[in-house]
Amino acid sequence: MIAGEFEFFAPKTLAEALTLLHTHHSGCRLLAGGMTLVPVMTLGLAQPGVIVSLNHVSGLDGVEDRGTTLRLGAMTRHATVGSHPLILEHAPLLAAAARAIGDVQVRHRGTLGGSLAHAEPAADYLCATATLGARFLLQKHGGERWLSADAFFVDVMTTALAPDELLSAIEIPKQAAGSGYAHQRLRRVEGAFPTVLAAAQIAPRGGPARLGLGGVAPRPVVLDIGEVLGNGVTPAALDEIGTRAFDAARHALADLNGSTDYRRAMARVCARRAVAAAADMLAPGGR
Amino acid sequence: MKTFISLDVNGRKHQLAVDTRAKLTDLLRDELRLTGTHVGCGTGSCGACTVLLNGRTVKACCVLAADVDGQQVTTIEGLSEPGELSPLQQRFVEHHGLQCGYCTPGMVLSAHQLLADNPTPTEADIRHAIAGNLCRCTGYQNIVKAIVAASEQQ
Ligand SMILES: Cc1cc2nc3c(=O)[nH]c(=O)nc-3n(C[C@H](O)[C@H](O)[C@H](O)COP(=O)(O)OP(=O)(O)OC[C@H]3O[C@@H](n4cnc5c(N)ncnc54)[C@H](O)[C@@H]3O)c2cc1C
Ligand code: FES
Ligand code: FES
Repeated sequence: MIAGEFEFFAPKTLAEALTLLHTHHSGCRLLAGGMTLVPVMTLGLAQPGVIVSLNHVSGLDGVEDRGTTLRLGAMTRHATVGSHPLILEHAPLLAAAARAIGDVQVRHRGTLGGSLAHAEPAADYLCATATLGARFLLQKHGGERWLSADAFFVDVMTTALAPDELLSAIEIPKQAAGSGYAHQRLRRVEGAFPTVLAAAQIAPRGGPARLGLGGVAPRPVVLDIGEVLGNGVTPAALDEIGTRAFDAARHALADLNGSTDYRRAMARVCARRAVAAAADMLAPGGR
Repeated sequence: MKTFISLDVNGRKHQLAVDTRAKLTDLLRDELRLTGTHVGCGTGSCGACTVLLNGRTVKACCVLAADVDGQQVTTIEGLSEPGELSPLQQRFVEHHGLQCGYCTPGMVLSAHQLLADNPTPTEADIRHAIAGNLCRCTGYQNIVKAIVAASEQQ
C-alpha cells in the first residue's frame, strides 16, 4: 500500500490525458510502466496528488514506418522495442538497448517513454536514442513541439518536459542498410543498471559514424567519430576513440557503482569495444 | 479514495471498489486472499510478486490495483486446481527447486512464461528468464534443473 493519498485517472484518449495534465499539472504525475514511479511512491520519495495512467490510452504505443524514419509510441514496452521487426531492421541498436534492460518482467511492463522521461543518466535508451539521432514529440493541451536529444535531455533525471506536457512519440531515422552497431554495457550483475555504457553506430562506405556514452555525464554524450575512422578502424583510431571517451567522462558522477576515475577508465574500455564490435559487423572493406 | 474496477483473476470475474493507494499485490493478497503472490521488496527488485498480467509476467508490486481495470490476471493459484500441482510445479518438488518457498510462486510463473515462449530453452535461456527472481536459499542450481526437466517432458 502506498502511504500518501492521491487521485487516480485512467483516460482512454490522448486528448483526455492532455486535458487532465492541463487541469492538474502541479502535483500530477503520469504513470507509464510504473517500474520506477511505483517503487519511488512506495518509498515515499514521490508523493503526487494526482496520477494519470497512460496504460489505457489508445494509440500511444506501437511502431510505425514513416518512410525515412520509424515512429515509436511512448507507451511501447521494452519487450516490443527489443523484438519488433521494423526496429530490428532499421534501428537494431535500439532493440539491443531494450533487450539489455533489467529482467523479463521489467521489459514486459516498462516503456520507452517512461525511461526517457525519467532520464536516469545510465539508462540504456538515453544513450541509444541520442546516438541514433532521435527526435522527441512533446504534446500538451493545444500544442506540440519536436526536440532533438540534445534539447530534450537537460540534466540528471531532468528533461525539457514542462509539467503540462507529455512525451507522446519518438522518431528514429532509419539507419543505412549494412551499418554496424554495438550496445556495450558494463554492469555489476545481470539485471542491474549499467555503470557505463557505449553505443556505436557506423554507416558503411564512409557514411556517418557516431559513438554514444552513458553513465559518464548528466546527459548522454555523442561523439562524431567519422573523421577518426577516416583510414579505417585501425589500432591508432581505436586508441584515439578511447582517449576521447576518457576525456568526455572527466566529470562523471561518482556513486556506489563507481568513482569518477573508474567510470573514466571504463568509458575508454567500453568505447573501444563498442566501435570494434560495430566495425566487425560491416562487410569487408565496408568502411 | 476509492475507484471501481472489474478484472478477471484466474478465470473468475471480480467487480471491486479499490483504494487508489493499493497495489496489485494488496488487491490479490488482502482483498481476494490469494496469498500465493508474495511480497519481498515491494519495490521491483526481487520478483516474489510475479504474476501474469494479460498473459505476460510483471511484478505486481509495481502495478497499481486501480490500473488493472478490465485486465486479466493469473496468479500461482491459477496454474493448477486446488490440491494439485501442474507438471512444472511437480518438477520443482522432484528436483528440490525450493527450500523456504518464498521465491517459488514468482519463480514458477517466470518459468511458466519461458516455457510458453520457448518450449526448448537452453540452460542460458533459463538463467536469463529467471534473472528477475531472487532466491536466497537454493543457489538456483536445482531451480534450473527443475525447469530443464519440465521442458524435456513437455
Ligand atoms: C529491477 C529493475 C531493473 C532495471 N534495469 C534497468 C536497466 O538495466 N536499464 C535501464 O535503462 N532501465 C532499467 N530499469 C528502469 C526501467 O527501464 C523503467 O521501466 C523505466 O525507467 C521507467 O519506465 P516506466 O515505463 O516504468 O515509467 P514510470 O515508472 O511509469 O514513469 C517514470 C517517470 O516518467 C514519467 N513519465 C512516464 N511516461 C511519460 C510520458 N509519456 N511523458 C512524460 N512523462 C512520463 C513518470 O511521470 C515518472 O516520473 C530497471 C527497473 C527495475 C525495476
Ligand atoms: S515484491 Fe515485487 S519485486 Fe520484490
Ligand atoms: S527457496 Fe527460499 S528464497 Fe528461494
